[in-house]
Amino acid sequence: MTYSPKLIDHYENPRNIGSLDKNDEGVGTGLVGAPACGDVMKLQIKVGADGLIEDAKFKTFGCGSAIASSSLVTEWVKGKTIDEAETIKNTDIAKHLALPPVKIHCSVLAEDAIKAAIADYRAKSAKKDEPVSEGEQVAVPAK
Amino acid sequence: MDHFARLGMPAMLDLEPADLDKAYFSRQRQWHPDRFVSKPPEEKAKASAEAAALNDAYRTLKDPLDRAVYFASLKGVELPGDGKTIDDPELLMEAMEVREALHEADTVEAVDALAEKARRDMKAALSGLASLFLRDDKPALRKALLRLRYLDKFAEEARARRMNLERAKA
Repeated sequence: MTYSPKLIDHYENPRNIGSLDKNDEGVGTGLVGAPACGDVMKLQIKVGADGLIEDAKFKTFGCGSAIASSSLVTEWVKGKTIDEAETIKNTDIAKHLALPPVKIHCSVLAEDAIKAAIADYRAKSAKKDEPVSEGEQVAVPAK
Repeated sequence: MDHFARLGMPAMLDLEPADLDKAYFSRQRQWHPDRFVSKPPEEKAKASAEAAALNDAYRTLKDPLDRAVYFASLKGVELPGDGKTIDDPELLMEAMEVREALHEADTVEAVDALAEKARRDMKAALSGLASLFLRDDKPALRKALLRLRYLDKFAEEARARRMNLERAKA
């Protein structure tokens, strides 16, 4: 299998590896996984007061195509609004990196990850906007 | 014909590996190409198709996890395929944590400790499957099998990490 120079570049020099504080109000975290290959991918965005994504980080344990796909997405979303970031399609990722057909699912995973991060951010800001009434339970992750 | 029937084994989650080997090797002889050298082409083709199906059945049933996944599929429990994220945040969190720990483990001993824990978890999860099958608890089976897939993948990654560390030491 031959890989494109863009893919190899993202794999060898991944952009924006790391983590953001998931408890930060402006941070949305997406955690996704591919059951068939046992890969796991975390993608986080930090949205500034102006509504633009000012930072994005990822951590992916998986094959080179999964790493390159998530690296590319963190690069693409920076400076975008979340509505713009939400329009990123797996086909754009696959095309940009020239992913071989058997690796298309890696780009699907990266799209799922950014969507999950955006959903998490939105859920957080919705909660922030409505005052917590008395007796209301704040969701705490199990464990 | 399902894989169990092809090998003449009862369709069960737990199989005696020696029985499985015996069933496989006797059938493999029966369909061996050497026995069909002078036979008409249709018979040759049938023999090679049978041999291929037999190999496939044996490979699937030999591995405890593959066997459990296959057995579950016979019972109507399908696991999600490629290109769909799994909807189990707890499992993903667990997978992320252990993969990070493995990534940070920089001695063979540290890797071994993580691998040992994964082995124990896998053994426990595998032995817990039987009661889930008995109860026909499909959602719980699906969850347990997915977790096993991740543990299996982790074990594979731990072996690779260990090999790299050993090589760096030498």
